[in-house]
Amino acid sequence: MANIAAQRIKREFKEVIKSEEVAKCAIKVELVNDSFTELKGEIAGPPDTPYEGGNFVLEIKVPETYPFNPPKVRFITKIWHPNISSVTGAICLDILKDQWAAAMTLRTVLLSLQALLSAAEPDDPQDAVVAKQYKEQPEMFRQTAKHWTSVYAGGPAKMSDLDDKIRRLTDMGIEEHNARVALSSYNWDLERATEQLFMTVMAKN
Amino acid sequence: MSGEEYESDMDYTDSDCGDPGYDDYYNNQQWGSEADNDIDSEQNKKDPEYAIHECLKVEEVERLLNENVEELSNRLQITPSLAKVLLHAHEWALQDIILKYRNDASGLLVTSKIKSSHEPDSSIALRGARTGTCLVCVNTLSLERFAALTCGHTFCKDCWCMHFEVQIIQGISTGIGCMAQDCEVLVPEDFVLSLLTKLTMRERYQQFVFRDYVKSHPQLRFCPGPNCQIVVRSKELRAKKVICSSCKTPFCFRCGMDYHAPTDCGTIKKWLTKCADDSETANYICAHTKDCPKCHICIEKNGGCNHMQCYNCKHDFCWMCLGDWKAHGSEYYECSRYKENPNISRESVHAQAREALKKYLHYYERWENHSKSLKLEEQTLETIKSRIHKKVMHASGTWIDWQHLFEAASLLARCRYTLQYTYPYAYFMEAGPRKVLFEYQQAQLEAEIENLSWKIERAETTDRGDLENQKDIAEKRRVTLLKDFLEV
Ligand SMILES: [Zn+2]
Ligand SMILES: [Zn+2]
Ligand SMILES: [Zn+2]
Ligand SMILES: [Zn+2]
Ligand SMILES: [Zn+2]
Repeated sequence: MANIAAQRIKREFKEVIKSEEVAKCAIKVELVNDSFTELKGEIAGPPDTPYEGGNFVLEIKVPETYPFNPPKVRFITKIWHPNISSVTGAICLDILKDQWAAAMTLRTVLLSLQALLSAAEPDDPQDAVVAKQYKEQPEMFRQTAKHWTSVYAGGPAKMSDLDDKIRRLTDMGIEEHNARVALSSYNWDLERATEQLFMTVMAKN
Repeated sequence: MSGEEYESDMDYTDSDCGDPGYDDYYNNQQWGSEADNDIDSEQNKKDPEYAIHECLKVEEVERLLNENVEELSNRLQITPSLAKVLLHAHEWALQDIILKYRNDASGLLVTSKIKSSHEPDSSIALRGARTGTCLVCVNTLSLERFAALTCGHTFCKDCWCMHFEVQIIQGISTGIGCMAQDCEVLVPEDFVLSLLTKLTMRERYQQFVFRDYVKSHPQLRFCPGPNCQIVVRSKELRAKKVICSSCKTPFCFRCGMDYHAPTDCGTIKKWLTKCADDSETANYICAHTKDCPKCHICIEKNGGCNHMQCYNCKHDFCWMCLGDWKAHGSEYYECSRYKENPNISRESVHAQAREALKKYLHYYERWENHSKSLKLEEQTLETIKSRIHKKVMHASGTWIDWQHLFEAASLLARCRYTLQYTYPYAYFMEAGPRKVLFEYQQAQLEAEIENLSWKIERAETTDRGDLENQKDIAEKRRVTLLKDFLEV
């Protein structure tokens, strides 16, 4: 079985490299080891989304039973999206679970993920906090996602008001990423984010 | 009890005590099994919680299902394999399927995932006239090594086989789908079996398919008893009690869980989840000892009856609420129901949380206490049994003379079981006149059950007529409560 997996991945690897999407720099895939069990994927944030201009790196693990079981994929680049965990990068997408079909390929997966960035499905969330914001405060969500894209995925936007709020917290000794998560989760309400951060600190002590 | 059952009971009779009555005691250990096993029993027909049912062996179920398959395949002139998929997809509603098929056969085949909604399209990349490349394994092979589903999707046989194996290992059988992208078609049984080579895989697949068929059939339920192969069939598709004839497990026919009238399937699930979540909170109340409310001596509860008598001062009191027992006969209501604070909505969040916990603990304590009483009463019966055994050995009466006592114990267990399950029901009930009526009936049942338990613990000195009388009253209360509140 492992034989088929390697055979398929080799073929798909070539397919992706030759594809027109690679030519347009929309998707990319690299080998991580020689045994074809692990790959590194990359997708460009789609235009007209808060992810535009960002590059998102993916970890792709190929199970021994591939292609009869789907590859295991997660985001390495931190991202603010209802169907992707802001903590672990785990993805909630049907084709990576029960809707997988053996005839699908890595290219299908990467393009589906790119489509997911364009059209989130907040009713089937991976990250409940993000999904709530997406539904209830869409503008706040857009700003936050854009901010994360610029910080973690090399996106172009500079958002000095948000950066200022983070600095207020880092000045108090909070680690920068933790400050960003707390502020993002509390709709950039500095007071509530501070309260939450110090409550966790107290609980740990 | 029929003479025939006596006969069959004899088969299991311990050689030490040849009297059939002795063995019957074991049957009575099971809740009401003596009566419930006998489908024609008058007792069961009158019991509102009992569903008429039969217990089938695997072969009998297979025969039943095959009859359905054959009939459908004959009437619609389709293959048995197709008939099976249709029946499985439509909960074995034969007439329904026939109607739909005659109306719009192709539409039915699409919604049943037998046919694709698109025109058949091949997924094979042809290489010349004789060979093609399988899109799954990317091998180029001669065409006879490929197989296609009704949707036209064609892959090499080895890939199909591996696909089936991977799915079966994950417990999937009737739900195995086509390997093509965006294809909804399910793989029928004969297609799987024609390509699956390993014997162990074929066996597993067939087991899983059988399991899926039974689960999709509204009249069939697997017996939840450990390692039991029996499938129970009932035409009453309700939350009523059935009992496996093989392992004697009683269960709810609708949800397959421990039987739970008058509470419904959803409510009991909610209750058990809550109990599991709050188990730590509730643990501290499960005391085995309490102090006598009069002389304060420590009393251990070692019987099921909640009517306690202090061995020191002879004070009669209630184990649950520690109230005077004399008042209980007429005012059991004050013990079993929970008196909610009518002004709670105006109190602070904190006070409300405390009140909610208090309310839950009130019900939980009673639920748990009756469950314990059931076990303690089993032990009591064990003791009585050995005492009677001695009596019979010393020729004071026969087992038949004491038969009524075992029947009383079996009835007590049945009543207490229902009583236990009235507490989750009451917990989730909305306040109002219906709840008042429910709690009134619950209290009456409670009082009669404790009277019965008291009399059974003192059976050898209790007048038989008195015991029979008490039995009737308790059972009447139970049946009345179920008739009024069991919504099935
Ligand atoms: Zn193949
Ligand atoms: Zn197909
Ligand atoms: Zn059984
Ligand atoms: Zn049920
Ligand atoms: Zn009481």
